[in-house]
Amino acid sequence: MLPMNWPKVLSLFLWITPHVLLGVLAVVLYKRRLYREFAVFFVYVLYEIAEFILLFGLYSVLGVTGKPYGYAYCATLLLSIALRFGVINEVANDLFRESRFLKVSARRSLQCVTGLLLVMGVLLAVYAPGDNSAKWYAGVFVVNRGAAMVQSGLLLSLLLFSRFLGMSWRRPAFGITLGLGVLTSLDLAYSALRAEFSSGVGAEFLNLLITGVYLVCVSIWMRYLVAPEPEPVSPTAVPHDEVEIWNRELQQFLKH
Amino acid sequence: MEQGASTISQALIASWALVAVAFVALGIVVYVALRSRTRRGDLEKALQAFRSLDIEAFRNLVDADEEAFLRENLSPQKFRAIKRGRAWAAFLYAWEAGGAATTLAEIGHAAQRNPNPQVAASGAQVAESAFRLRLQTMRACLQLLTEVVLPDLQLRSIPPLVDQYEQSVETLFRLGRFSPGTPELQRSKKA
Repeated sequence: MLPMNWPKVLSLFLWITPHVLLGVLAVVLYKRRLYREFAVFFVYVLYEIAEFILLFGLYSVLGVTGKPYGYAYCATLLLSIALRFGVINEVANDLFRESRFLKVSARRSLQCVTGLLLVMGVLLAVYAPGDNSAKWYAGVFVVNRGAAMVQSGLLLSLLLFSRFLGMSWRRPAFGITLGLGVLTSLDLAYSALRAEFSSGVGAEFLNLLITGVYLVCVSIWMRYLVAPEPEPVSPTAVPHDEVEIWNRELQQFLKH
Repeated sequence: MEQGASTISQALIASWALVAVAFVALGIVVYVALRSRTRRGDLEKALQAFRSLDIEAFRNLVDADEEAFLRENLSPQKFRAIKRGRAWAAFLYAWEAGGAATTLAEIGHAAQRNPNPQVAASGAQVAESAFRLRLQTMRACLQLLTEVVLPDLQLRSIPPLVDQYEQSVETLFRLGRFSPGTPELQRSKKA
């Protein structure tokens, strides 16, 4: 049987669990020395834990609610958005690390995509629905919506680039991208609706939903960062006769 | 009053449109991510791609002199129809070459992590030229599609694509030569 205040219990569970998992993730990142390669992501994880401790402390221990809590929430949210951009830049660097050519050309293309998405994000913040100016609180959600659009667009571009060019991801970078991709795209949907429904049951339901999504996202990070990198499939593992056919085909091709 | 209701409904529609965009993005992220992760460089696929490509035929299809000859000797209507057909055929070639480049890049990437430094170095070269080839095929595909839509338009020729393809194949060949435990490969190269 469900307890009487099950929405509150569920809300607390969804709020606390991802941050406990993030604590475990931080330890894993440190022990496997992944913090050297993914420094910004490591900082982001630590920041998310610190943010949780601050907000949870304000809400549960000090009983801070209303406007003061809102100020703290929005300030921490804005810094979190900025750090996510850093994480995206970090996974992009990791993806292009092995190719000098791609470091230049693909990064230039990504810069163009970023510019385009930023223009769209600004236009969205100015013209799209929602309470854009009257309440600062709703305004922050409008900013978050624009940022979520830019970030999910960037992550989508990275995944499409890698697919079109046949690039291989390293397991941690792939996990970070996938988790962040899920989080930012659902954050876009959440912010779009949140700007519209800023109070009432709808807002509470949306809060539950986004904290649930955050748990899914952290679980994806855990799955990909805890498991070891699989051995790459090497061309030397190809049977001799197959290589012979391959070689013959290529020689025929080169005759032209 | 009516204007207010209309503004609210417009705002709601826009919000739900954004939600739809977000879910489409999520669907693409998950799909592309899962496909990218499970995909591996398939040699059989690469072989098939090489078999299907006749680089001389492609060279002929994008030859500027050939096109000038057709333009001079055919009626405008007939020329447009033939130009469309040629551009479409060349597009299919470029598309296949792009697919082969992707497979080459995957093979090159895998080889790059080989403990043998020679294989790793060759793998890096394969991946590098495959990336170049892939980008060139994308550019060529766009150009050829424009020619299909606007056959009268005289665009620049596409020779670097052919050169890049041959360069990529040559690098791939070198990778095969460096693979240990493949004496047949070295024998056939000497022959």
